[in-house]
Amino acid sequence: MTETETRLREYESDLVVESYDVVAEDVVALTLVNPDGQALPAWTPGAHIDLVLTPEITRQYSLCSSPADAHRFTVGILNAPNSRGGSAFVHEKVSVGSTIRIRGPRNHFPLVASPRYVFIAGGIGITPMIPMIAEAEAAGADWTLLYGGRSEASMAYIDVLRAYGERVTLLPGNDVALMSAALDERIGTPRPDTLVYTCGPEGLLGAVEARCATWPSGSLHLERFAAKATEGAVDSEFQVVLARTGITITVPDDKTIFRAAEDNGVSVLGSCHEGICGTCETVIIDVEGEVDHRDSVLNAEEQASNETMMICVSRCRSGSITLDL
Amino acid sequence: MTRSMPTDCWYAPAASSEVDRDLLPVRAAGLPVVLYRTGAGDVVALEDRCAHRAYPLSSGALIGDTVQCGLCGFVYGTDGRCVSVPSQPNVPYGAAVASYPTREADGLVWVWLGEPGRSALHRIPDLPWLADAGWSTVSGEEDVLASFLLLHENFADVTQVPFIAPEIAPAVLGATPPPLDVVVSETSVSLHRDFPPAPLPAWQAEIVGSPLDTPYRTEQSGFFPSPAVWVDHWDAQAEDGTWVRLRFTHLVTPIDESSSRLLWAVSRDFALGNRAVDQYLDGIFTDYYDRVIDAMEIAQEVLEIDGPGPEVNVNADAVGLKIREIVSALLTAEGA
Repeated sequence: MTETETRLREYESDLVVESYDVVAEDVVALTLVNPDGQALPAWTPGAHIDLVLTPEITRQYSLCSSPADAHRFTVGILNAPNSRGGSAFVHEKVSVGSTIRIRGPRNHFPLVASPRYVFIAGGIGITPMIPMIAEAEAAGADWTLLYGGRSEASMAYIDVLRAYGERVTLLPGNDVALMSAALDERIGTPRPDTLVYTCGPEGLLGAVEARCATWPSGSLHLERFAAKATEGAVDSEFQVVLARTGITITVPDDKTIFRAAEDNGVSVLGSCHEGICGTCETVIIDVEGEVDHRDSVLNAEEQASNETMMICVSRCRSGSITLDL
Repeated sequence: MTRSMPTDCWYAPAASSEVDRDLLPVRAAGLPVVLYRTGAGDVVALEDRCAHRAYPLSSGALIGDTVQCGLCGFVYGTDGRCVSVPSQPNVPYGAAVASYPTREADGLVWVWLGEPGRSALHRIPDLPWLADAGWSTVSGEEDVLASFLLLHENFADVTQVPFIAPEIAPAVLGATPPPLDVVVSETSVSLHRDFPPAPLPAWQAEIVGSPLDTPYRTEQSGFFPSPAVWVDHWDAQAEDGTWVRLRFTHLVTPIDESSSRLLWAVSRDFALGNRAVDQYLDGIFTDYYDRVIDAMEIAQEVLEIDGPGPEVNVNADAVGLKIREIVSALLTAEGA
């Protein structure tokens, strides 16, 4: 029997900007379509796609269109003053008719069925909540949204959200005390019938995380779009057994598992190489030594379980590890 | 016990032609369902169990657009609500059976068994060749004593065909196989590979009417758009540029944890409307799917007797493993 080489990749397509709408101060909504009219891959609320803006700049944006629309992806993009180049590129260089390469969708922020939800969004973190709220509403769930921002003018999708009436609370003005009180009221007391979803700036995520520490495990779902700092991390050499491929490789101190696997001719999925997109999540079959999780996708509990790891950033402190690759 | 079958999915348990002005019982995702058509032609899917006592509504009668239980005479409307009972003037409080959203597309009846409100947010895969005049189709259906996931993993495993059915596999499968390209997204996975020019399998050359040694280059693609469907494309092109295309559609509906309904269809864009060819293909592929089904039933039996057990994976299993991952994520999101 001869060998079948398997090349694995994510869905990728050059889409065209069908519309470019300013939906708030410094926020544009880009709607992308396949120029040949082909249907786009299906997705569920909470999913994001990569926009490959330049060979150097690939960024993740949450989908905020309807999963029922087979032909359109809409993403909301903030022109952040301290942008790493992605949003500035979109705001300056992109217009209707531009071609943008996309990858995905993928989802590390899935909406789990529940009778009750508390959604908490800060600023541009509202985008994944738009399809989530539509789904929660369609399912007849009891839900509320707390949405904070700099000012009403800077907060995207306010009109769509106001239509939901009392379920939605807007907190413009970046008032930390007001937000803190609102968080205490919403999630101060754990409720077993409720799931908490949050997306927004690090300060808000931290405040929500702290309050949810006493909630049942699995209650809190949050999404980060910036890598956590991993200062003082030491990289050393270790061995990786690639179980499917049937080989053992050495990961030198100056390479990631991802690159070392590629160097050995193994096709692996990856995108951001910063531990934030979750594309390269790999099942850990066995570990001798200690896994050094450095990603921003898995929560502390998931990291401690050593069931999977993000091989673009995470390593092994010593010894060897067996992966389902 | 945790559920292994997603319900947030449009399934196609029956062809449009099977659903008419009578009661058709089917099972999907562990639920009993009765299908029928209203006088106006709309398809209705109700829970196939009377709210009064354990008795299938499909064993009763269709009266106008309502269904009457054959045991107790409760009558249900298209929305599942009981509209009359024989023994008293008022309908008891809460007397209703579940009514499931339905749609018809590409000659199939699609049923949504999850939370009804969510049905509109989920897509039905496009299978236009099943109802398009540019294609001819032979099909069959079978209840299979194997889980829907085993069926998908079999369809996704490109290395199995030469073992299960060597005589119908294209000759190119026996030679050094070209690289397999696997493309994944959140809820779908596809595979693709291009074979260098080689003769068509004998059965296909005969239908196309080309000499046995005429080389065709072949593009094979496989798609998992949802847990309800696996589709294969086998598109072959002769040196003169003419194409002969085949579509293998597998509609998979889980009946329960360990059995499934398989509706298979083989569509071609050549020898259109030719009855003799239909009969010939029907013979070949009924036999082929019987063998696939036998193999899957044996695998299911092993799983049931000896448990899941450790499995060794190879790189070419990437498609099947991704399908497991997608189904597992769907079940987690459903809270199953």
